[in-house]
Amino acid sequence: MAQIEVRNLRKSFKDDAVLKGLSLNVDKGEIVALFGPSGTGKTVLLRLLAGVYAPDGGTIDLRGRDASGTPPEKRGIGMAFQNFALFPHMTARDNIASALTARKADAAEIARKVDAVARLLKISHVLNHSPRELSNGQKQRTALARALVAEPDILLLDDPLRNVDAKLRYEMRLELPALLKRAGSTVLYVTQDFKEAMALGDRIAVLLDGEIAQCDTPARIYAEPASIGVARLFGDPTLNLVEVEPRMVDGVPEILVGGALIRLPASYAAAAGGNYMLGLRPESLHLVDGATPGTIAVDLVAVTPLNEKSVLLFTMEGGNELLASEAGDREVPRCTGPSRLALDLDAVLLFDRDNGRRFIPADNLGARP
Amino acid sequence: MDRISFIERGFRGLLLTLIVIFFLFPIFWILLMSFQTNEQILRIPPSLTFVPTLDNYKALISGHLVTSAGTLDIAFMRNLGNSVLLSTCAVVLALILGVPAAYAFARFKFWLSEDIAFTLLSFRFAPPLLVLLPLSLYFQDLGLVDTYVGLIWVYQLIALPLILWIVRGYFEDISPDVENAYRIAGHSWARTFFKIAVPLAGPGIAAAGLLSFIFCWNNFVFALILASADKQPVTVGALAFVTASGIQYGQVAAAIVLSVTPTLLLALYAQRWLVEGLSLGAVKG
Amino acid sequence: MTSQPIDDSVRVVHRRPVEWLPYLLSLPALLVCIGILIPFVTALYYSTLRFRLNLPALKGFIWFGNYTNLLYDPEFWNTVSISLRYTAISVGVELVLGLIVALLLQRRTRINNMISVLLLLPLMTAPAIAALMWKLMTNPSFGILSYLVSLAGVSDFRWASSPSSALFTVVLVDVWVYTPFIMVLLLAGLRSLPQQPFEAAALDGVPRLFVFFRITLPMLSPYIITASLFRLLDAIQQFDIVYAMTQGGPGNTLLVFQVRAYLEFYQYTNVGKSAALLVVLWAITYFLSNIFIKNWLRLRERSHASA
Repeated sequence: MAQIEVRNLRKSFKDDAVLKGLSLNVDKGEIVALFGPSGTGKTVLLRLLAGVYAPDGGTIDLRGRDASGTPPEKRGIGMAFQNFALFPHMTARDNIASALTARKADAAEIARKVDAVARLLKISHVLNHSPRELSNGQKQRTALARALVAEPDILLLDDPLRNVDAKLRYEMRLELPALLKRAGSTVLYVTQDFKEAMALGDRIAVLLDGEIAQCDTPARIYAEPASIGVARLFGDPTLNLVEVEPRMVDGVPEILVGGALIRLPASYAAAAGGNYMLGLRPESLHLVDGATPGTIAVDLVAVTPLNEKSVLLFTMEGGNELLASEAGDREVPRCTGPSRLALDLDAVLLFDRDNGRRFIPADNLGARP
Repeated sequence: MDRISFIERGFRGLLLTLIVIFFLFPIFWILLMSFQTNEQILRIPPSLTFVPTLDNYKALISGHLVTSAGTLDIAFMRNLGNSVLLSTCAVVLALILGVPAAYAFARFKFWLSEDIAFTLLSFRFAPPLLVLLPLSLYFQDLGLVDTYVGLIWVYQLIALPLILWIVRGYFEDISPDVENAYRIAGHSWARTFFKIAVPLAGPGIAAAGLLSFIFCWNNFVFALILASADKQPVTVGALAFVTASGIQYGQVAAAIVLSVTPTLLLALYAQRWLVEGLSLGAVKG
Repeated sequence: MTSQPIDDSVRVVHRRPVEWLPYLLSLPALLVCIGILIPFVTALYYSTLRFRLNLPALKGFIWFGNYTNLLYDPEFWNTVSISLRYTAISVGVELVLGLIVALLLQRRTRINNMISVLLLLPLMTAPAIAALMWKLMTNPSFGILSYLVSLAGVSDFRWASSPSSALFTVVLVDVWVYTPFIMVLLLAGLRSLPQQPFEAAALDGVPRLFVFFRITLPMLSPYIITASLFRLLDAIQQFDIVYAMTQGGPGNTLLVFQVRAYLEFYQYTNVGKSAALLVVLWAITYFLSNIFIKNWLRLRERSHASA
């Protein structure tokens, strides 16, 4: 039995339907990253789970029981807000302790628990400061401490690393999963950064258009995205999309890309005759010498060297642009000019042009990394 | 800005001095008068040097006025007491009723909320007599004429809209997430209201309470119409006193001083909140 | 600035199970509303009656009779005229004076702050008491102002006792009490203005008068308008100062709206006429205040949205 079960949740504000029938299950002890572009309703979902908002339709079950009549203070949830939401008129210590004072524990025990979690998050030295005197990183950790101190079995974290400087963000990205796993809570972690989602989540729930478009492990989301929308959100630079119409030629599905005829694996036979978008991840395109069949003639337009990789910009016949990336240690050409690109056929993705859903080839495998 | 010429600076200083004199002189002069005997007051030309006397205040406080025509009983201290009682009770009641209501208006958008707010706001600008004159007739029917309760209730018409107006803005300025965080941490709505919302809106509540007290204290027309003789506050009492005491100008001045001192002292003590309340009530919102 | 999801009700906490809470909390406000509306409707009702307290037997409907009587009553037009003049002159003077004071005090120095606090004191006195103060000061026998004026060669200036100078006297008191209100608002406005336009103008060597009329005043206009509307709405219903000073006299020179209505009710016990007069006044203020409230609420929404 899942610890959080959301079925068909609907929520609108004024005439704006934010959540349109969202369903999601989170198992006990699991960390699910709730990921999606800004404004899509991730924060709204968290608030519905916390009981701050009431849904317009659908159900929320917490720990197997319907939560709809339960006010926020009785849901036993810990929550950390994106903008910290610390109480400005209390010290950091009192902020954290507020999660315990409702339960009528005695003062010594409260102090012990607050000190313990402060030590864990390395804010012991600022406990007596007011929020005004804390840096962003300290505020974030105080908010996190407040969410953790009562050891809740359900944790809702609303993009807690967003307002924190880059260095601390990278540190916490390493420390947080260990911390959360040690606490053993069920975690729903909202983020707008796909790298964070892939690093932190046991599974990623992608929220698009008011619904969960896909909820899968990071590897499968990357290799087997359910739709163009999902595929576009992962990967940097984002994947290339080219219009193709596969045709059967000599019993083999074939597509025309930038003037070159590319043969697809036989498992794509069922796609013949339809209109599709070909999705090519930049790392699946490789420069080759020589014009072998199945390679595309392109023009190298620009090279952007970054540390861990280089990004190359090409144009094909017909004007479309392609981005390819090569690992940092590989040689890249110095000057622009005509080149040829080869596709990694194991890594192609085909999406229906009308509804954006991925075409699932007969052997049911997606792009193998 | 330091290119202002010496002449201009002198001119500005002169202008400012004249203005300060204009606004402060009356208070100063009446204060002076309150320490003068009738003879000193009636002397022409008036002089700034005289031997001050406390007789005027003594007469007011003791309640007896010795004139050439005999002894008058003055009930002015009673008026002062009435003002204190009425203003304090009205403000306390208005805060108890108004702060939660302001919270409701700030946080919830419920049926009629905007209409109620709009009505209260628009009656801030309506002529008081429109409501007071019919109310005086109702008071007779309801038996509220000779009561403090009736007045305190009517004073809510002054204090409540003001408190709602000012405190609502302060509640709206509190981020809802701060309250949500406290509730999620395990506290009921009521505890959240008292421990988070009210403390954070504290300055606004203080400003609103202060301003309401001053407006209630300074109110004239409500008490004129609805208060019976022994329940009148100083505003009405002072006027009656002038007519009754005839030529005892020193005592009139002393009565005026006693009438305005509380609000002036309050204003000086809490001027920061006052300015905030005034400008908030008018402009920012 | 962190981005928020689309819901603009992020400011609002929805709690379905406790739906009755907001109504409970705002019950007193609702009661006060009703407490205002009932007498208000009663007043409207009275204005359609021939109703004199000393002749209750004659009470009866005359619909708009009271109103048409007013239109033909020269006293009514006198009231309108005096009220309008009072309003226009007081508010006009207060605006100019308030602006001058605010300009003189706009720099945040210790002296300026102290002066601006002291200048609040007249605003804190009850207007009725303020009228009494000025009455004492203008007393012909011992009033300091009468004395000073006589020094200047004007003998026997009768201040509020003379029809020719009564309006001047009450306007003087009004200006004394209420100019600080305008000062506070305009000072807050001046101090909240962004500095860049002024710095740029100074750098470009723009003459100060030009800066004042073309930059300062336009930027101050919302504050000026707010302050003016507040004062206009209050001045046209002024009761305390006029009543405390002269009860509407001498004769009928100071019979502004509310004073006239009061006297009609208490001296002539003509409830119908008094009510009609007040309804007319209410109509005027309602019209003006509607404009004001709509603008003010809009300004508030905008300032909250950008916050």
